[in-house]
Amino acid sequence: MTIPIIKVQQLSKVFATNDMLTHALQGIDLEIQQGEYISISGPSGCGKSTLLSIMGLLDFPTKGKLYFEGVDISQLSLDQATAIRNKKIGFIFQQFNLIDDLSVYENIALPLRYATHLVNDKQIKEKVDYCLDVVGMSSKAKRRPTQLSGGQQQCIAIARALVAEPSILLVDEPTGNLDSKSSDQIMKTLEALNNQGTTLCVVTHDIDYAEMAKRKIYLLDGQVLGQTSLDY
Amino acid sequence: MSKFVRQHKQAWASLKKKPGFILTVLMTMGITLGALLCAVTLNYLLLVEPLPYPEQDRLFVAEHKLIGPEKETKAVAYTYPGLVHLYKSKQAFEQAAMMIYGQDVIISHSNQPLVNTTYVTPEFHQIIASPMAVGRMFEASEAIDTNNPVTMLSYNTWQQEYNGSADILDEKINLSGISYRVIGVLSEDFIEPELNGIGQETQVWLPWDYNQTGEGGRESFGNISNSLKFVGQLNKGVSQSQAQQLLTPLVSDRWQEGVVEIDFFNGWSVSMIVRPVKDVILGDSESIAVMLLAGVVGLVLIACANISNLFMSRTAEKQRQMAIQAALGATKKHLFKTMFAETTILMFMSIILALVISKVGFYIMQQYLGAVLPRVSELSLNPITFGCAVLVAITFALFFAKLSTRMINYRALNTTLQSSGKGSGLQVSKKTRQVLIASQVALATVLVFANFSLLKDAVKTINAPIGFETENISTLILNFSSTNFPTREEGIPIMAEIMEKLEALPQVESISQSRSPLDGFGVRALTSVADNKNYTPYFNNVSHTYFDMIEQPLVQGDNFTLVDRKDGTDVMIVNQAFAKQLKADGDVIGMQISTGRPDPFKIIGIVRDIAIPGDAATDHNSEALGSGVPRAYVPNGLNNQSFMIKVKPGQLVSREQLGKLLGDVDSRYAVFSFDAASDILTQRLFAEITTAVTTAILASLVFLLAGIGLYGILSYGTQLRRFELGARMAIGATRKHLVSLIIGDNTKAILVGFIGSIALFALAYIGMSEYIQPLLTWQVIPMLLVTLVLIVLVTLFACYWPLRQYINKPAIFTLRGSD
Ligand SMILES: Nc1ncnc2c1ncn2[C@@H]1O[C@H](COP(=O)(O)OP(=O)(O)OP(=O)(O)O)[C@@H](O)[C@H]1O
Ligand SMILES: [Mg+2]
Repeated sequence: MTIPIIKVQQLSKVFATNDMLTHALQGIDLEIQQGEYISISGPSGCGKSTLLSIMGLLDFPTKGKLYFEGVDISQLSLDQATAIRNKKIGFIFQQFNLIDDLSVYENIALPLRYATHLVNDKQIKEKVDYCLDVVGMSSKAKRRPTQLSGGQQQCIAIARALVAEPSILLVDEPTGNLDSKSSDQIMKTLEALNNQGTTLCVVTHDIDYAEMAKRKIYLLDGQVLGQTSLDY
Repeated sequence: MSKFVRQHKQAWASLKKKPGFILTVLMTMGITLGALLCAVTLNYLLLVEPLPYPEQDRLFVAEHKLIGPEKETKAVAYTYPGLVHLYKSKQAFEQAAMMIYGQDVIISHSNQPLVNTTYVTPEFHQIIASPMAVGRMFEASEAIDTNNPVTMLSYNTWQQEYNGSADILDEKINLSGISYRVIGVLSEDFIEPELNGIGQETQVWLPWDYNQTGEGGRESFGNISNSLKFVGQLNKGVSQSQAQQLLTPLVSDRWQEGVVEIDFFNGWSVSMIVRPVKDVILGDSESIAVMLLAGVVGLVLIACANISNLFMSRTAEKQRQMAIQAALGATKKHLFKTMFAETTILMFMSIILALVISKVGFYIMQQYLGAVLPRVSELSLNPITFGCAVLVAITFALFFAKLSTRMINYRALNTTLQSSGKGSGLQVSKKTRQVLIASQVALATVLVFANFSLLKDAVKTINAPIGFETENISTLILNFSSTNFPTREEGIPIMAEIMEKLEALPQVESISQSRSPLDGFGVRALTSVADNKNYTPYFNNVSHTYFDMIEQPLVQGDNFTLVDRKDGTDVMIVNQAFAKQLKADGDVIGMQISTGRPDPFKIIGIVRDIAIPGDAATDHNSEALGSGVPRAYVPNGLNNQSFMIKVKPGQLVSREQLGKLLGDVDSRYAVFSFDAASDILTQRLFAEITTAVTTAILASLVFLLAGIGLYGILSYGTQLRRFELGARMAIGATRKHLVSLIIGDNTKAILVGFIGSIALFALAYIGMSEYIQPLLTWQVIPMLLVTLVLIVLVTLFACYWPLRQYINKPAIFTLRGSD
């Protein structure tokens, strides 16, 4: 059996605010294999984003284990976690999180500039151009993010998530800020990426989009309420 | 309720919610403005305020300048008969007084305190209209040649030594065996013109006739003393230069007559200098005051930049509230008024604190800087201080209000209401922040550099090796309290007995019958017999154990012996500097040196140079010799009345103990002074120590303020960027990436700041070149580097510290914007 990209065991997350404890996640077990397309859905506040950020090493669990490509995350320093995030994980957020001061091209190139192994400018250009092409935004390379529509910005965010050739794309409400036409477009792009082999984990509360995934996980109050069986 | 009151009440209500903000503004502005008020008041007092005497612009001091054969100034000091001649001639001055400064012991007092005495002719207190607390001032009955033994006490002496006794006028006090009847006490408000040096206040005033100049000295045109002074009120219509022209021949001719038989003075002349009393009192303290003001203004500017940033951030915070006000019909002017009400409250609170702090500052200056700055006793909160305070408060209130409202984009306010209120919107613009950073860096660099340079010089002087031992050594100088002085023969056995008793004290390690180098040297005119050249080295009469006790090594030849002192052998020891001056190769053993007496001295030894702080070379051609100033030593007599006492480590001998010991030997002797050599050294270094402390405090304050300011600005900037930072972290930016990103973004501003500091230096150089020129040597380069490094470190810290809360936590915190 191959090593799963992400393996989560009895994972819990508790937030302490003003004398109040919020159990955002309670005993989650989950495995994500190479090439999968998973959707996570559930009502607002059920812990989707929390789970995603823990799986993306943006946050750490209160209890339980997380293995990324077999490595126990609890053993890593902040900087080691950052390095994994840079190399192996692509993030796509609801609010795009592009950097306004940088051009579209530079936004996409950013993960490569932070890479631990040096990538030269020529390689960067090749990769950025390729990713721009994938999302169909080649003509917008010189623009600023603020000069693009929401849908276009999200495409750029996808390109940025792809550029370092990550093992997995973690996507949180990619269409939350978009109209239905742009949303369809984005979801199609993501699906196409999965068809070409990219592992995808998408958080959404849009039933239709959730249905597009090959495996569907449903969360309620921080627990896995149910999931469709593995196809293979 | 009037509109004004309502507006300020509302402003206060809004401010009250931010106690941290109020406290920061209050402390920063209060402390720096307090320092500013101090500096302004001091400058006003020294540069503008007239002296507190009637017709003070007619008060002048006449000085007696001795000029050598090469037209060089030899000394500015009177001879006793020369001064009396000038006084009696009554030229140019409507009224004038002679005075001699000295010290003596009040032996009639149970504590036998050593006091500053001044012998004056009665005109002195008449001219300056001294106010009296009790009794009368000197009058015609105390004029010259009246020999009327009466005295006036200073207010403090009356209070401290006589407990403010109501019947002080019945009291008689005894100094040097003469009993003086107290006829008056000067008022507490009396301000003495300190002509003998800053902080030198007279405690006991005595009539001129009783000054301690000996019979010979009263006739000699060859003895000069710089404690002799002449001060008076110039005739109406006579200018300073007219007075000089009138007095110079009068004094010079008489002096030439007086020294016609002394070869040493061949080719010398006298020129009279007439200077305003104010100039004499102020000396070069004006430059200190101006520099202090410049430093404090810099501090205020830094504080101002800090507070500007705070106010702007506050405006950014309040944008939503202002948008609501705008929606309800508030105009730009209304918004300004609201802001102005807030800044007025804050600035007036600050200025009240500043007034309190300046009052404390005056007290500190009076306690500690009385010996460095003149007229500090006159410092008080006066109309100028209050005027300046109000002006400063209003100016800053207007400035901060204007600055805050300027950043409001009035037309865009409604959009604030429509948007969610989070994220985009009103911010302190990047440009403004960069300007603030640059100005902080520029000001801090200039101030820190200036303070460091002064500090370094002061510390260098303080730490300079003096070349002799002061540890555990004190000098005891005896006071003889009777008018008929013992002869040499009478004195010798008494001194021998005193020495014996001193040596027998259990605390005492050893005794040497001489003064320590710190209170020993005079200046003496010497002639080398071989080539008839004249020299004026420092001169001291010392015991044969002197060099051993202070551990000043003999580098060549022999030390004095007890026999030399007993027989009065004409032998001399010189230091290396004087040896070099006498002969280029410094080999002067056996050379003959004349003091003007028939028998010349023979040089028998050479000692190593010592460096006494404050001892400058006595004649211009010895500066070339480097650190050492020329000194010559001859053996003193066995009747010498001063002793160096070296105590065992950790032991003490008290003045009272010594007083009793002396009284047991011979009741006519008392303690004149008993001072530890290390204390005298500290006193001599007082100006340097004061400078060191002041500059170190100023530099630390600058660092603190600049650090806080840069931190404020940079942390605000970082806070604005937190979502961007979060996004970068999500895609894998490490801590290093982010730190260098923030530093990189601020590098330009910091560089601009450094360039700005150079511009400020250039400006300062043009404006105050006379003060700055001497500071400009190659040695400033390392200082500059140290300053730059420190400023860079502070800046780096200010870059990193606000960032650390974001980058050392899981990225999600930064990204979410929750804490
Ligand atoms: N930093 C935090 N501090 C305290 N509580 C938190 C924090 N982050 C999340 N929570 C709480 O954890 C729970 C899960 O939050 P999460 O953001 O994962 O929900 P979600 O499923 O993504 O919701 P939505 O669909 O609205 O985005 C919520 O109750 C939330 O209030
Ligand atoms: Mg969510």
